[in-house]
Amino acid sequence: MALLEVKNLKKVYSTRFGGNKVEALKNVNFTVDEGEFVAIMGESGSGKTTLLNILAALDRPTAGSVLLTGEDLSTVKESKIAAFRRDNLGFVFQEFNLLDTFTIADNVYLPLVLAGKSYHEMSTRLLPLADRLGIGDLLDKYPYEVSGGQKQRAAVARALITEPKILLADEPTGALDSKASDELLRLFGEVNRAGQTVLMVTHSVKAASVASRVLFIKDGEVFHQLYRGDESGEQFYQKISDTLTAIQTGGDRG
Amino acid sequence: MKTLFYPRLALTGMRKNRKLYLPYILSCIGMVMMFYILHALSYSEVLKNAKGAATVGTTLGLGKYVIAAFSVLFLFYTNSFLTRRRYKEFGLYSILGMDKRKIGRVVIFESLFVAIIALAVGLGLGIAFSKFAELGLLNAASIDIDYRFRIPPKAITDTLLLYGIIFLLLMGKSLWQVRRQNPLELLRSENAGEKPPKGNLIIGLIGAVILIAAYVTAVSIKSPLSALTVFFVAVLAVILATYLLFISGSVALCRLLKKSKNYYYKKQHFVSVSSMAYRMKRNGAGLASICILSTMVLVMISSSASLYFGKDQSIRSTYPRDCEIDVDLETLAHFNDDVIPELRAAYEKSFADNGFTPKNLYETRYAYITAAQNGTTFNPDPSSVGAINFDDVRQLLFVSAADYEALTGEAVSLKGNEAFLHTDRCRYDYQTLTVGDVALSITGTMKENPVKTESEAFFVPTLALVVSDYDVLAPFDKPEDSYAFAMMTFRYAYAYDTGLPDEEAEEIFADQYDAMNNVFENRSDFDGWGCYSGCVATARADFYGAYGSLFFLGIILSVVFIFAAAMIIYYKQISEGYEDQARFGIMQKVGMTKADIKKSINSQVLTVFFAPLLLAGLHLAFAFPLVWKILQMFSLTNLWFVIGVTVAAFLLFAAFYALIYKLTARAYYKIVAE
Repeated sequence: MALLEVKNLKKVYSTRFGGNKVEALKNVNFTVDEGEFVAIMGESGSGKTTLLNILAALDRPTAGSVLLTGEDLSTVKESKIAAFRRDNLGFVFQEFNLLDTFTIADNVYLPLVLAGKSYHEMSTRLLPLADRLGIGDLLDKYPYEVSGGQKQRAAVARALITEPKILLADEPTGALDSKASDELLRLFGEVNRAGQTVLMVTHSVKAASVASRVLFIKDGEVFHQLYRGDESGEQFYQKISDTLTAIQTGGDRG
Repeated sequence: MKTLFYPRLALTGMRKNRKLYLPYILSCIGMVMMFYILHALSYSEVLKNAKGAATVGTTLGLGKYVIAAFSVLFLFYTNSFLTRRRYKEFGLYSILGMDKRKIGRVVIFESLFVAIIALAVGLGLGIAFSKFAELGLLNAASIDIDYRFRIPPKAITDTLLLYGIIFLLLMGKSLWQVRRQNPLELLRSENAGEKPPKGNLIIGLIGAVILIAAYVTAVSIKSPLSALTVFFVAVLAVILATYLLFISGSVALCRLLKKSKNYYYKKQHFVSVSSMAYRMKRNGAGLASICILSTMVLVMISSSASLYFGKDQSIRSTYPRDCEIDVDLETLAHFNDDVIPELRAAYEKSFADNGFTPKNLYETRYAYITAAQNGTTFNPDPSSVGAINFDDVRQLLFVSAADYEALTGEAVSLKGNEAFLHTDRCRYDYQTLTVGDVALSITGTMKENPVKTESEAFFVPTLALVVSDYDVLAPFDKPEDSYAFAMMTFRYAYAYDTGLPDEEAEEIFADQYDAMNNVFENRSDFDGWGCYSGCVATARADFYGAYGSLFFLGIILSVVFIFAAAMIIYYKQISEGYEDQARFGIMQKVGMTKADIKKSINSQVLTVFFAPLLLAGLHLAFAFPLVWKILQMFSLTNLWFVIGVTVAAFLLFAAFYALIYKLTARAYYKIVAE
């Protein structure tokens, strides 16, 4: 059984008084297996952020369903949704979304605190993770005292500390310089090789080329997908880049 | 069109930030209204003509200045929340190419709009409510009511002038702040947390020492006279200490809570403790202000309510009988000659003429003097009065054994310089006592002070002595000597109840007074005599006027201060809500539920918001001895009654406080849970 199953997903936004309707997602179907690293690519306005919001249970679809390990997200009660998100999903955002009021360590602890875990359990989970992500020395600092790359690694730690079924990342390299981006992508690959399922939305070809599979979204539909197979990073990069050019110039489905 | 650009920009800005502007404008309106009402009342025609009106006028005048001064402080404080919030918007304007002068124009229009609304609505409501306030005051002061409606023009122009100036100053402050700011700084949001102040422990220790010193002073005060002078020093010390303690206390508390892992890493505490730590200094200062306002309200309302509800008690203790005439003679010789029987006969004749029989007649002679105590010596020299400590002042009363027996029916046998003693409001543990040139040895005690005239209500510590005979006091009977020794006064007291309505009682009393005057006019041998006369019927209007208007003012000022405390709590919550909005947004993404948000807010309430109330209660408890001493000067004598009123005032205030908190916590929740 697939870890994540997206079936006939449709999302229509209507303006406040119901006048204009905008179809953000028309009919999206795909599955993600356990241990996969899937990148979703598409231009601005292609519907990829809407898709991610629905996967993250931050938004509800107009039609269709999202199943996580067989459980339909739309059947989770509104009051349980935050807890569901906390227990099953990990998030990494473009803007890090760390809290200034907390130290790095406390930021990472946040989801566990919300889940009501004991301090002892939290700290035994944090230390190996922090070392793996290279933030072991920064734990007592505040977010405004560290660099962007370090902030994003802290955000990854926060996403992973709950051992989520799936790690969702929204443009994780968007606010980083190229060196920090490379470092972060290397980490993503590492995390994935250790068994973590990752789903990343991006429009950076470089970021997508780390994934094992790339889905292309255009006008609210999955337009095309590429498997990495045993290609090298450079080869896969080239292939993604060519596909994007083809899509943008209006080529046929491959 | 272009001319309307700035006013329109100002209006949109105000509308967009209405959560902040509305309460601010409300505060302005409230202040204008309250000032107008108090000012208009001082022009009230009814008050001018009523009995007891003079005291009412003085009290209201005082209240007017308190409100004016408080308005300045309070409006500057709330205004600072507005400007802080608007900086970001002004920064954006400035980056879009609007220079500071043009931003200034927006500020000017904003201030203008606020001023116009506040003055118009404030005066309107003030005029509308002034009659209600007048009725309330007249009722509290027991003055006859009239229903004519008046608008004193002077009250309107004065209010416009005063608040016009205040609004001008506020505008100047905002303009100066805009000019001083750098646009990029304006735009960049402040995201670094507050650093704990250096030497936090020392600040806290200084605060604690000042507070303890103030408390000890307040508790150890002995004389009501020193209470007044100490009161203001103590108030200032307590205010300073409160600020120091809350700032260092909130820093220390945050550190402590963060260190306690089992407390900190609980979901209901985690967020609230960290955001408290993030703005610990500001937090401390805000809580201190709330605490001080609360204390002011509590002290004011408890003392003025005690006076008001205890007014009949204090009339009774000031006037143990309905009417009282005490004739003070300067020499011992007159005490023993025929003037006293003459007076008695004159009184009785005037009563008989009116067909009146006095009830509960209290008639006696006694001598009294005021002196400064130093061990067993009492110094009555008035030239030393400036140099003495108020705490050492004693009143000494002397009653002869014969008069004592006439009063109480108890025979005491005293020889020579022997005396029996009773003390009120002080202790005297020695066996001998010397006052001026008179030395007495104390051979026994009395259960009760035999002298029950107005002087008993006097708040000075008193030693009442029964002596063998008034001749013991002969050394004082030297009127040709220094003025000092004429200080011993020989009094013939005559007091009684009438059981009649006030007006009839007043007539009888006036006739008696005339009879007394006639006695002295017919006697050429008197060059020095004095008289104390008092009648409940005449004094009642003054008492009710004074205590009623104090209570009224206490309520008005309490309403103003409670309103101010509510505004401070509201602004604190709202401004923190806006700061926390993004954070709670992130936390909801990470998996915080709405129920978690509520729990977190509740944890903050319990940790933070009830601290000022508790400290205010502590302040009140320690201020109580001081307040009690001052109330004694107003002839309140029932300690348990005053304690009861104070406790009731505290409970009532606590209920108000909880309500305010609940309402503002909801506003906060609405902002962060959006």
